Parts: sequence; structure tokens; C-alpha cells
Amino acid sequence: RGVSQGSPPVTSLLSLAVTSEQIEHLHRRFKQLSQDQLTIRKENFDSIPDLEFNPIRGKIVHAFFDKRNLRQESDGLAEEINFEDFLTIMSYFRPIEMNMDEEQLDRFRKEKLKFLFHMYDSDHDGKITLQEYRNVVEELLSGNPHLEKESARSIADGAMMEAASICVGQMGPDQVYEGITFEDFLKMWQGIDIETKMHVRFLNVDTIAHCY
Amino acid sequence: MEVLWAVGQVGAVWMAVVLGLIMLPSALGISLGISEAYMWVLVKTLEWATIRLQKGAKKPEPQLPRTPTANGIIERDETPMEKEIALLHRADFEFSHIFYFCRKGFEAIVEDEVTQRFSSEELLSWNLLTRTNVNFHYISLRLTVVWVIGVVVRYCFLLPLRFTLAAIGITSMIVGTTVVGQLPNGSVKNYLSEVVHLTCSRILVRALSGTIHYHNKENRPQKGGICVANHTSPIDAIILTNDGCYAMVGQVHGGLMGIIQRATVKACPHVWFERSEMKDRHLVTKRLREHVADKSKLPILIFPEGTCINNTSVMMFKKGSFEIGGTIYPVAIKYDPQFGDAFWNSSKYNIVSYLLRIMTSWAIVCNVWYLPPMVRKEDEDAVQFANRVRSAIACQGGLTELPWDGGLKRAKVKDTFKEEQQKNYSKMLVRNGSVG
Repeated sequence: RGVSQGSPPVTSLLSLAVTSEQIEHLHRRFKQLSQDQLTIRKENFDSIPDLEFNPIRGKIVHAFFDKRNLRQESDGLAEEINFEDFLTIMSYFRPIEMNMDEEQLDRFRKEKLKFLFHMYDSDHDGKITLQEYRNVVEELLSGNPHLEKESARSIADGAMMEAASICVGQMGPDQVYEGITFEDFLKMWQGIDIETKMHVRFLNVDTIAHCY
Repeated sequence: MEVLWAVGQVGAVWMAVVLGLIMLPSALGISLGISEAYMWVLVKTLEWATIRLQKGAKKPEPQLPRTPTANGIIERDETPMEKEIALLHRADFEFSHIFYFCRKGFEAIVEDEVTQRFSSEELLSWNLLTRTNVNFHYISLRLTVVWVIGVVVRYCFLLPLRFTLAAIGITSMIVGTTVVGQLPNGSVKNYLSEVVHLTCSRILVRALSGTIHYHNKENRPQKGGICVANHTSPIDAIILTNDGCYAMVGQVHGGLMGIIQRATVKACPHVWFERSEMKDRHLVTKRLREHVADKSKLPILIFPEGTCINNTSVMMFKKGSFEIGGTIYPVAIKYDPQFGDAFWNSSKYNIVSYLLRIMTSWAIVCNVWYLPPMVRKEDEDAVQFANRVRSAIACQGGLTELPWDGGLKRAKVKDTFKEEQQKNYSKMLVRNGSVG
């Protein structure tokens, strides 16, 4: 499963609308991040200034090493990823194509939502609990000295209650809402067009002609 | 005996050639037209090469969006944060915010604006130098033959010629300024020093096959002013001194550079700092202030970015240069990457290999715009003034402005920046009534 230094591999994953040019761009980027090594570790993401701004930087970097996202059978975190893994994660952000049918679109959407779900579900138990949701909100609001922890909590609690009402309906006074499962998560996003919000589109740059 | 006589003859001819073709025209500022002829041939050849390439190209796919001058590889959504989150709003605070940051994060990972600027600009068509063509593929026999001829011409013919010219230029600079430095201070000395500096600059520019177009010469920096320009390479200084005399500012180096510095400072009041002095900002500012206050001294030349950027953008200007006072004369320098990449990627190449690359490029073509002088306003502080000057330079040169520090080439983002962004985000939430 090694990746040769010279040419990037074209795996079956990439029967996407990613052209070989784009793969080459990504490969160059990968080499830049890995400083010419074959694998990337978490520390390599520290060299991206634009990413420092991002409040959920930790979660995004974590997502690259999350074995659930890497489509591996096992659970937990990988220590390092190679270029193929890098492309696997990037594929979650590919834009929709014109010629996709219903089934493909649906699968597409599920994939993207699953990626997002994994980001929230940090203990990998398949449910987003109140505490996990609170963590995410706190991270998003981190760094502002004027916003206290209480505010972050109340936001999180409010959102969880709304999620509960969508998924479970009216709850009795004794019922406890365990957490948002993936099916509930899908329900929440029904009718909302996330495919166009969660993608990165490549520009077509004619850098050099290829001779075939 | 005869050998000596033959050597003498050759030596005499050589001297005549050097004087006639190089020194005199440079001293008088006239051009013999050799460079122009060379450029004409070069342009024709590159046009031919580009046409050959396009003939061999596959038809591009029509549906993906195009861009003529790509400074990036992904389409960025420039919607400001507030608008985008407002669009996704369903309730007060939802998962929607995560989308925005997730996408921004991914965009940054695929390509970040800053690191991009520290690597050379990608050309849209090939200029027969493999160093600018990362995707070099074999295209046709004819093209490869032309490329090989190009290599031979560049390395075997142009390189020795340029090297000789550069050697002549540097030697004359050292000798000339030492001689002039012996004279007593006065207008004669100043005049001669200007002549020497200009001549040697012109020789050096020719050594790089430089073609420079100066615009708006009426705004040229005057004595007692400060000239400020964007920085792409160490030869920026030579480009500017080709058209006027400046007092350079910089650190004292060792080696050949040190010799040049010591020689030139005798003839002309350049400001060279010892390494230990550079750390003391007040000392530096004081010396520069003294220099500027003396209206008879040449304008000083400063590059406020502090490091070499790849000539597609202008990064943050260090405010030190703008605290000195006096009139600022901004200058915008834009290189044409078609003929040779002038950017010095100091983390990749050292100075010697950089000079070698420059001397084996086709030519250095650039445009220099002199902008109208600017003065700090009453209510402006140094940082705002610096930004105003930077905008003017970026606007004229067609470069983008980035709020980043050139020091990011080597260091990480300052925490103050991060906190700013996070504060913005939280402020926005509070405003929307999400809290409490």
C-alpha cells in the first residue's frame, strides 16, 4: 500500500470528477505539508497559517486521522496517513456533478453527513451526547473572554432539546434523551441542501498541455 | 617574446571591447541596441514554442469554471462569515456554524493563501525553462530540440558572458568607489560618486539581460526622502539604482558583499548597520532620522516587507520604516515571469544558486512605477500609514494585498491574530441574540 514518491496513485476512489491535474495539485500540496515525507502526522498541519484562525481546527485535523473516515474496519486514530488516505478524506468534499442520479446523490449526502457526525461524536460510540455537543460549542466559541461557559452551555442545551423534539417527539418527564444517533442526525437535515455547502471546487487551470 | 606580444595584442583588443561596448555606453546611459535585438529574438521563439504546445494540447473540458490568471487552484467562496451563517440559520445556534468552519478549514488545507506566496508563481504557458514547468511532459521532438538548443545557449553562451559582465561591474564598483572615496567631501565627490554608482548599476543590469520599463519618472524620489518598494529578490536594489542614486540601508555582511559595502560607503553615505545594532530599534530609527533630516543626502531605500515575496502579492509592511518621518516615495516593482523567475525562495535556494538561476534565465523583464509622494497624516499612526502606502503599491503593480506578515515564511501565526478572529465570531453570535 506504499506510495511512490514520484507519481501519485490513482485509486478506485478517484473515479470522481477529480482530474489527474487536480490529483497532481493535491499531491504537490501533500508533499509540501509532509515536507517530502511519505506520510503526514498531526504536527504537519501546524504549518498552515490560514488554519490557525479556525476555532474547530482541532476537530478538522482530527478528522483526517479518524479511522472511521479512512474507511478502515477498525476504530480509533491513525498515527499518520499517506497520500491515498489524504485523498480519501478530501473526497468527502468533492462537489456534486451534473450527471448524478437519485441514488448517487443520496449516497453522496449520507457520506458528507457521516463525516460531520464523526466530527461531533468524539468518543466513537455512535451517538452525539449532550456533553459532546457542548464540547463542540465551547470550541466554536473559544477565545472570547466575554462569553462565559454558561452561555456556551445554554446554547448547547437548547440545541439538544430541539434535536430531541425533532427526533423523538414529545418526551415524558421520565424519559432521558440518550443522544443523537446517525439516523436522527439524518432526520434533522432532511430538506436542507447541504451538498452545496460542504464542498471545495477546483478551478480548471490549463498549466501545461499533455501529449497523448 | 612573440607570445608576450600576442597576449598584449589580445589584451588591448579586449580592453577596447570592454571600454567601447560596455563602459562608455553605461557611463553615458545610452544603449547600443544589443539587448533589444536579443529580446526580440527571444519573444519570437517563445511565441513559436507556445503555439506548438497548444497544437499538441487536448481539448479542455468545458464545464469546470476557468480563470485566466490563476493564483489559486480552488474556487473560494468570498461570502463574509456573517452572511453565510445567516443563510444557514434555522434556529438560534445549530450545526450550521460547523459547515462554514469545516469548509474554510478544508480550503486552507488544500491551499492556503500565505504559503502559496512563498513559492514561485506558476506560468500559464511554458517558457522553455524546465524549472518553471512542474508538469514537464514530452511533447514533440521539435520542441525538445529547441529546448536543448536553449539550454546550450543559456549555459554555454549567455552564462559566461553574463558572468564576465557581472565581474566587470562589481570590480569597477569597488575600484571606482574606493578612488572616489579618496577625494575630499564636496559636490565634485558627490557627482563622481553618482556617476560611478549609475555606471556600475547599468553594467550589472546588462549582466542579467534586464529590460526595465520605468513609469512616471516625474515622481522619482528626491533627496531627503525615503523610497519604499515591494521586495521580490536581492536584485530589486540594482533595478532601482539603475535609474537613480539611493542611499542603501542594510546589515553589514562578510565576504564579497562586505567588501562592496565598505568600498561604497566611502564614496556615498550608505547606512550599514552592524548585526548587534539592528536589534536596537531606537538606534536604527535615530540614525535613519538623522540621515533623512539632512536634505542634501540621497534618499534612502527600504524594503518594508522584510523578506522576499513571490511578486503576486504585497504582505504586511513593518511599521518601523514609517515612524522615521519625512516624505515617503512608494515604488511598485512587478516582474514579468515569462522570461525568468526573479523570486528568491531563500528556504529553497542559497544566494549562489539563486544567482546562477538568474543568470541562466532568458532575461529579467520588469516594470517599475514611481508613485506620487505620501506623507503621514495628523490622525494616522504608523501602522495605518504603512497600510495606506501598501495599498497604493499593490494597486499600481496589480498585486493582491495580504494582511499577513512576511515573517510567516519561517514562523507561526501570532496568537493575537487568532484571538481577533475568534472574537469576531463570538461577537456575531451575541449580536444575533443567540446568547442569554
